[in-house]
Amino acid sequence: MSVRLDLDDMQGLIARGYGKLPHAAYLLLQITEADPAREVLRGWAKDLTTADEEPDSAATNLALSSAGIAKLGGSPLLAGLSRQFGEGMVTPHRSRLLGDLGENDPAGWTWGGPGTDVVHVLLLIYSSDPTTLTARCDDLGSAPGLRLVRRLDTAPVTPTESFGFADGISQPWLEGLGPAPSGSDLVRAGEFVLGYPNEYDQLTPRPLLPDGLDVGRNGCYLVIRQLSQDVDGFWAYLDAAATGADGRLDLAQRDLLAAKMMGRWPSGAPLALAPEHDDPALATANDFGYGERDAHGMHCPVGAHVRRANPRDSLEPSPGTAESRRINRRHRLLRRGRAYGEPGTEQGLHFICLGGNLARQYEFVQHTWVNNPDFDGLFGEEDPVIGPRRCDDSRFTVPDTPVRRRVRELPQFVQVRGGGYFFLPGVRALSYLVREQP
Amino acid sequence: MPHQEAVTVSAAIRADRVERVADLLAGMSTQGAARNDVIPFADLDGVHFARLFVLPAASDLDGAEIPATLFYMCDVDAPTQRHLDVLAEQHGRGLDSVFGHCVGYPEGEVTTQLRVRFLGNHLVGSAATYIHTVGRSVDQVRAEHSLREVIEEVVDTPGAVLPTDSATQAVDRIRGAVLEREDFRWAARPPSGPGLAFRLREAAHMLLLIVVGLLLLPILLPLVVVLLVLVRRKERTDVPDTARPSAEHVRATEQHEDFGAQNPFTAVGLVKAGGVRRLTMRGVLFGLDFASRHIYRRDNLAGVRTIHFARWTPIDDGRRLVFVSNYDNSLDSYMDDFIDRLAWGLNAVFSNGAGWPRTRWLVLGGARDESAFKDYLRTHQVPTPVWYSAYDTLTARNVDANMARRQQLPRQLDEHAAADWLSGL
Repeated sequence: MSVRLDLDDMQGLIARGYGKLPHAAYLLLQITEADPAREVLRGWAKDLTTADEEPDSAATNLALSSAGIAKLGGSPLLAGLSRQFGEGMVTPHRSRLLGDLGENDPAGWTWGGPGTDVVHVLLLIYSSDPTTLTARCDDLGSAPGLRLVRRLDTAPVTPTESFGFADGISQPWLEGLGPAPSGSDLVRAGEFVLGYPNEYDQLTPRPLLPDGLDVGRNGCYLVIRQLSQDVDGFWAYLDAAATGADGRLDLAQRDLLAAKMMGRWPSGAPLALAPEHDDPALATANDFGYGERDAHGMHCPVGAHVRRANPRDSLEPSPGTAESRRINRRHRLLRRGRAYGEPGTEQGLHFICLGGNLARQYEFVQHTWVNNPDFDGLFGEEDPVIGPRRCDDSRFTVPDTPVRRRVRELPQFVQVRGGGYFFLPGVRALSYLVREQP
Repeated sequence: MPHQEAVTVSAAIRADRVERVADLLAGMSTQGAARNDVIPFADLDGVHFARLFVLPAASDLDGAEIPATLFYMCDVDAPTQRHLDVLAEQHGRGLDSVFGHCVGYPEGEVTTQLRVRFLGNHLVGSAATYIHTVGRSVDQVRAEHSLREVIEEVVDTPGAVLPTDSATQAVDRIRGAVLEREDFRWAARPPSGPGLAFRLREAAHMLLLIVVGLLLLPILLPLVVVLLVLVRRKERTDVPDTARPSAEHVRATEQHEDFGAQNPFTAVGLVKAGGVRRLTMRGVLFGLDFASRHIYRRDNLAGVRTIHFARWTPIDDGRRLVFVSNYDNSLDSYMDDFIDRLAWGLNAVFSNGAGWPRTRWLVLGGARDESAFKDYLRTHQVPTPVWYSAYDTLTARNVDANMARRQQLPRQLDEHAAADWLSGL
């Protein structure tokens, strides 16, 4: 298994999350006049950070929504891209599929929803220092032919997300990017980048134009969701749950329940390996499974957030086997999001994930794993941390001996505030799309 | 306990009434299949799943026209006749407004007798059926789920199980508390399973087929080889579909999907021309029916545990095949299961259908071509506007887990078995 990736054509976000550039902002732009916008985008396309670079001061990547591609005259491209991308994140069926109902209803979104301005361009700007970032955002956000719909600021990179848990530990490793770090899944490049063989050893459909141009190659889909996290509510709930009849808060119990819900301790140590208490030595441990040692979830509950989002080797028909892992590899997400907000303000995550197949990856994980009330044999449970609450009585079962404990009527801690499907094109494809019209 | 039967009633819709039927079904869909004014399926005992759908007018491979056809399908606890009688007697008006648009439906004063006769005359047999667990009635599924809820309540009661209990002690306490309740005394006995007569008949059927099969082996084996070679020759020139499903078509089908734990799937396709393909398909369906009746009669179909009921129904004198199932999770996850685990089986049946992705030797290739396969399935899918499930929050795994808990409850369990029983809570 070896593949040569066109690293100089792929946008850098596919290869790295730019952790060395702690400051970032995402600009949501609308094309108001196509011609000037095309000229601006032509300029930007030359400056985009590609996967062969390892920037230490600044990086810029750019993605387009289906409306954006249409606006730029790229409709022939759209026919070759996926139906999910073409329809966008907000349709009645997709809202059911993604759990965007109730508190998460797109009608209440601050951007990307039915009542908000259409977004055509997503500009992802990274910098090593905050002042430069602000200047670049101001500069890029006021380009001719484009209007800034919204600027999504992010919090300076820290190892933890807003609830206080280390995040982003388990990432699939793209074939072709060099040797995989220990414990991470090596996944065929085509799972994430169009134009290369995927885990079925097949090419995911992509736009091939009549003149033979492979405009899908080196591109991928990008999902962005603004997830608002009720940090105070989350910890207040846990405090209450760990407070005895005598009014005393049992901190150890509280932290254990929080870890059971997440599936990892705040340091990142997985419950599968550190079932009793946090162990910072295991903070980045990622080489483990559930199927053999923890089939019933005595260490890491079956319903825990990280086990739902990446069940590893625990699923049917043969948990604990290479076959189970092989199937799991078809449902991986390359996560590139960043936290936003600081204590005292709205906090959350600008979730971003990349993939070659929205239906089989992001939508599948969201529907069949994360939000599935009956995930892996459970009864009427939802992701205890990020799930919407659609069951009358959302429960969370913590397996234990002699019998399980369970919490009931779990409140919702994460609310979707916006989102959209984008396409992160290869640089050549973008240049083609915004080329000078004869 | 009764066994389960697949009921199919189909009738051609009068040409001028196709739209009215669509409107009627849409209205039922809006009100919900369980509680609509026309046929509230929740009132019908013994119905696991039911659906009403329309196959639009089409033409066959020779260009002959096939009229739009209305289908009623359900999976019921036997006997089928009782279900049809109840439908005709208690939901006669509803039946009139649904099938009244069809060719041959009695006009004027429609009596129960006439309705029963119409239904009987329009029954269609299936070439193969799959039942997740044979002999498990609707009542049993529901009772066993309420048993689980009571067990869970007992476990939630402070002091009902002590932290120092062994697994055996914990199970004993739970059993004691549950069986103390008047309304759960029944759980002291394991489920009875399908009736003796049914079991004998099934055993005889299996035995007979095995004996006949063995006797005919000297003829069957060469026949299979010849068929395979003939199929292989056709495979090289058969033309796979390349069309992607239109956005409108997908919207029309998926508007009825992903409301609960389960979904309906309904699809139709033309069978390829010629005797070789027809014979192959009939043979494979015969084998499939045998396998699901006698081998996969409990909790899975060749390793797939997400299908509650399925059927393969040839129609129009074998020119078309309808495939229908009731499955867990989304269509995308269902299709992934197919590719990962059942591609060979799907190929064996559906590669005899026009346009299927290219196969080799009947079972290789085909459905393993992810995008071609998924496009084919969506393209051949038809909307299922009216769909009823008697237990729509439960996956097949949930139902199995409930039954396992119930079966073990009356028994004395050793420590290991008791721990296993408790781990399913």
